[in-house]
Amino acid sequence: MRPLAFLLISASFLAAQKPAPDPIMTALAQELERSRSLQLEGVDAPYYVEYSLDDLHAFSVVASMGAVVRSNDTHTRLPRLQVRVGDYAFDNTNYVFSDFFGRSSGVRIPLDNDPVVLRHHFWLLTDRAFKGAVEAISRKRAALKSVTVQEEIKDFSKASPVTLTAPDRPIAFQRQSWTAQTRALSAVFSKYPQITASNAEWEASYTDSYYLNNEGSRVRFPDDIFTIRVRAAAQAPDGMPVRDAATVLARTPSAIPAQSELQRKAERIAENVTALLAAPMAEDYTGPVLVEGDAAPQLFAQLIGTNLGLTRRPVAEPGRTPPTPSSELEGRIGSRVLPEWLDVVDDPTQQEFRGHQLLGYYPVDMEGVVPAPLTVIEKGTLKSYLLTRQPVRGFDASNGRARLPGSFGAKAPIFSNLFVRAKESVSADALKKKLLEIVVQRGKPYGIILRKLDFPSSAPADELRRISAASSQRGGAARMVAAPLLAYRVYPDGREELVRGFRFRSLSARSLRDIIAASDTENIFDFLGNGTSLPMLGGGGYVSGHTVVAPSVLLEDLELDRREEDWPKLPLVPPPSLTGSRF
Amino acid sequence: MSRLFVLFSILASTGLAQTGLLDILGQELDRNFQVLSRKGDPPAYYIAYAVTDEEASAVTSTLGTITSQDKRHSRRLDVTVRVGSPKLDNYHAIRGEMAQFTSGMLIALDDSPDAIKLRLWSETDRCYRLGVQRLISIKTNKDVSVADREASDDFSSDQPSKFTEAVPALRFDSDAWAARLRKLSARFAKYPSIISSSVSVVAEREIKYFANTEGARISHGQQFSRVAFSAQGKASDGMDLATFDSFNTSDPARLPKDPEIESGIDKVAKDLNKLLDAPLVAPFVGPAILSGRAAGVFFHEIFGHRVEGHRLKDESDGQTFAKSIGAQVLPDFISVTFDPTLRQAAGSDLNGFYQYDDEGIKARRLPLVEKGILKTFLMSRTPVPGIAISNGHGRRQAGAEVVSRQSNLLVEPSRQVPEAKLKEMLIAEVKRLNKPYGFYFQEITGGFTNTGRRGIQAFKVIPLVVYRIYPDGKEELVRGADIVGTPLASFSKIIAAGDKAEVFNGYCGAESGSVPVSAVSPSILVSELEIQKKESSRDRPPLLAPPTASIGGSK
Repeated sequence: MRPLAFLLISASFLAAQKPAPDPIMTALAQELERSRSLQLEGVDAPYYVEYSLDDLHAFSVVASMGAVVRSNDTHTRLPRLQVRVGDYAFDNTNYVFSDFFGRSSGVRIPLDNDPVVLRHHFWLLTDRAFKGAVEAISRKRAALKSVTVQEEIKDFSKASPVTLTAPDRPIAFQRQSWTAQTRALSAVFSKYPQITASNAEWEASYTDSYYLNNEGSRVRFPDDIFTIRVRAAAQAPDGMPVRDAATVLARTPSAIPAQSELQRKAERIAENVTALLAAPMAEDYTGPVLVEGDAAPQLFAQLIGTNLGLTRRPVAEPGRTPPTPSSELEGRIGSRVLPEWLDVVDDPTQQEFRGHQLLGYYPVDMEGVVPAPLTVIEKGTLKSYLLTRQPVRGFDASNGRARLPGSFGAKAPIFSNLFVRAKESVSADALKKKLLEIVVQRGKPYGIILRKLDFPSSAPADELRRISAASSQRGGAARMVAAPLLAYRVYPDGREELVRGFRFRSLSARSLRDIIAASDTENIFDFLGNGTSLPMLGGGGYVSGHTVVAPSVLLEDLELDRREEDWPKLPLVPPPSLTGSRF
Repeated sequence: MSRLFVLFSILASTGLAQTGLLDILGQELDRNFQVLSRKGDPPAYYIAYAVTDEEASAVTSTLGTITSQDKRHSRRLDVTVRVGSPKLDNYHAIRGEMAQFTSGMLIALDDSPDAIKLRLWSETDRCYRLGVQRLISIKTNKDVSVADREASDDFSSDQPSKFTEAVPALRFDSDAWAARLRKLSARFAKYPSIISSSVSVVAEREIKYFANTEGARISHGQQFSRVAFSAQGKASDGMDLATFDSFNTSDPARLPKDPEIESGIDKVAKDLNKLLDAPLVAPFVGPAILSGRAAGVFFHEIFGHRVEGHRLKDESDGQTFAKSIGAQVLPDFISVTFDPTLRQAAGSDLNGFYQYDDEGIKARRLPLVEKGILKTFLMSRTPVPGIAISNGHGRRQAGAEVVSRQSNLLVEPSRQVPEAKLKEMLIAEVKRLNKPYGFYFQEITGGFTNTGRRGIQAFKVIPLVVYRIYPDGKEELVRGADIVGTPLASFSKIIAAGDKAEVFNGYCGAESGSVPVSAVSPSILVSELEIQKKESSRDRPPLLAPPTASIGGSK
């Protein structure tokens, strides 16, 4: 793996260096400069304008049973603009209809670098965004006439301008070999006749991410991502659908594992699904649970990671406040949220950890703020939130965590590389031994080991809807929690037995206070998130890369339910007998 | 009525053996039907597999730059499983609500039996289950009264066809077109009042495969190509204005050469420029001429959608013509024919051409209105009271269920006058009615029509280029005109037709998705048309001047 060397230098230093001018940056900067003269009589003038442009080259291929089902090849440029009118204390954002006005949809930015034509598009987008901002601020003022705001918080914080131009890297799509590799991966499942649906996907995207604002920030860096994913599903004799999936992520093509390793991962998925078909159904369980493998970082990502950002409730007409996601950790600064021997650090500055490329790396966030490592939990105590330039109660300044578009004119605070570090730890074997001790102590027939959760979820849409309905029944804006995918009964003699059909009962950040021990080993898990607690595997829209590094943990008490659902009947028609060849 | 292409594209894979897929479909069809027709409870009595193989290449441009250049290739599968019996099956509409079983799922791009059979099997199972569920709820639904059940069957008995044709490969040089579009789209830069503009080209090849348990085995296909260009601007009062035109052919090689496209672009640009300064219309009721293309859209919207047979089954539909077979619905000198077998008219390729419809029924010429008398409806295999069989108009976009749709609509007047005479007749009407002027609708784009019972039975088309014609013959371009009105009223007011047919090619969106259609008509003179002022945006024109090449920008 070749780490990327970024040039992070001050504006004055840059002037002396004179790198080759980037035609897109030059054109956008000129138009941004011109937007300073935007004004309309009697209305607020723009005080902040930002331009973003993602110049995206993407290739993807999906294959099933050795045959290509879909293949896309795209070059597109996606603009994002923001115009804020008023001032930092009070502007057009943080209002329920902030995003509603001034949107431009379906604008295609030219793929040729003609400066005047590029500027022409940003000229129109800026004009529209400005008019929308003016509309929003006047409606926000009107709404405020009939509601009282409990606490005056500023709408936007200041940040010092940043200049960064990362060096170019070659854009090298290996369409033929990637397609061949994807076909081969998908053909792995042909050898498992019980698997009735499967595929392999390969997505490669090279993005040059541009960010400019009228405070003087000028940023361009590559934001590339390579995804290889395999999925398989089948139906157990009792009708229960079972499935498994694996995703491999890399920021550079050189970090993509060898085909033989990818193939092994596909085989593992096929074996897991086949094993699940034969596995007994789980029974309701309350007791000690050992969380290891992918499951440990998956658990921390969901219960800690997605709770570290706060969403500010927007100004709205009285009684019409929209539901906003709430964080379980809101208002808990200074409180114990984990055992005191656990620390959690969010570190977007690291590119690599023990030879593993970290997915959460980024040099500058979406609001032009350079992030630094941040200890969010120290000795089990919550120390900080992930912050953007949208102030929240008690926190005025950004710490550079704006990673996704958010709501009501703000960006969403999102974690990056999350390191869960245990000051006290035991070996993995000792951890399992400890689990069994408790099992014996309590006279239980077995304990439970979780090795993989369905996170991000590979569930089909109808199942996700059921999960969502079930979690909202449990009161309030409950978060969706991924179900265990690979769960094992472990008997006092150490024997393990795979079971299927578990789901968590009332799992929340609070559950983590029951961690009684951690391993001295580290589990590394990469994934693409979308800011929700349960992203969908391969879901579209804006995504953020994450790596979570966490030890295996033993929880003293966790409640797991057996899924009680009406499963679909088995098909009347037996599956087709396959030739085993593609033609 | 223009079709948007999905941004993402697909690499072409070539050299498909065309019979391979039909064989795979046939084998899996037989295997599934054997079990589901015997062991199913209730049994399946009919299964069909339809695969739409679509390969397309598109380039869009603006002001001398390329904004997208995509290729895509997809194969979508639509499975039909009918359970119960033709008298009452799972497709029976409940209170106008139609069934949706198919998902148009993607299948392998090459004829790989394992990959395709597995999908066919699982989709068949899914559709069978949904079908059984729906049939049970239909049978227990109080709203499906005995009378309703007996009014007409749910599925017709039609003869299966066997047909296979080779569809030529798509020959389209995307890069050569990109170079042409850069030059062509740069022409709009000469018109500073045009805020945005585009020139695009699309070439598409579609192959349809169809197999059913009655023995139909069909594969056929065709190509569609289009160069389209549009310009948008804003009048000083904030009104958004747009002009648009396109050239359509089947084979992309026959798309016009640059000089012809250039003059088309110049016309669109000049029309827009003139429109921006044109006076606003005032509400008006009076005589008007619709150009052939405008009349085509008019007929498609106000007439065509109301003769789609399935509307007679839908109690929530207005059913304008429900009891009108044998009755006069248009002036006695107007006949209307739907002819999907027609490849060309008035020198243009027709979008609505096809050989078999999406239920495998052979296309045929269908005289629908003869001398003003309604003879039949557009029919799929869903019978309606009084019409038991299909006339080859069951159509869909992949992923939607089939309903009856239009094809090539031909307006055929028995009495025609030269175009110049039509204008004289308009002026005579203007004078007779003591109106200050009449209207001439030159360019119209697709509108929408509401055939529902609850909504107002109205239609709306979007006129792009409209003139006022004064008694002295003077023509004046105006902006902001919208045609409004109720359909039945408009039909009776056609008083004359011109002698030169024009073609409007487009894509029609309705219950079964977007399907290619054409309308062919001469100009028509209507004694009374209601015109209202278009609702207008209140946005001001852009505050800053457009950017120019001067460094730092100008103000």
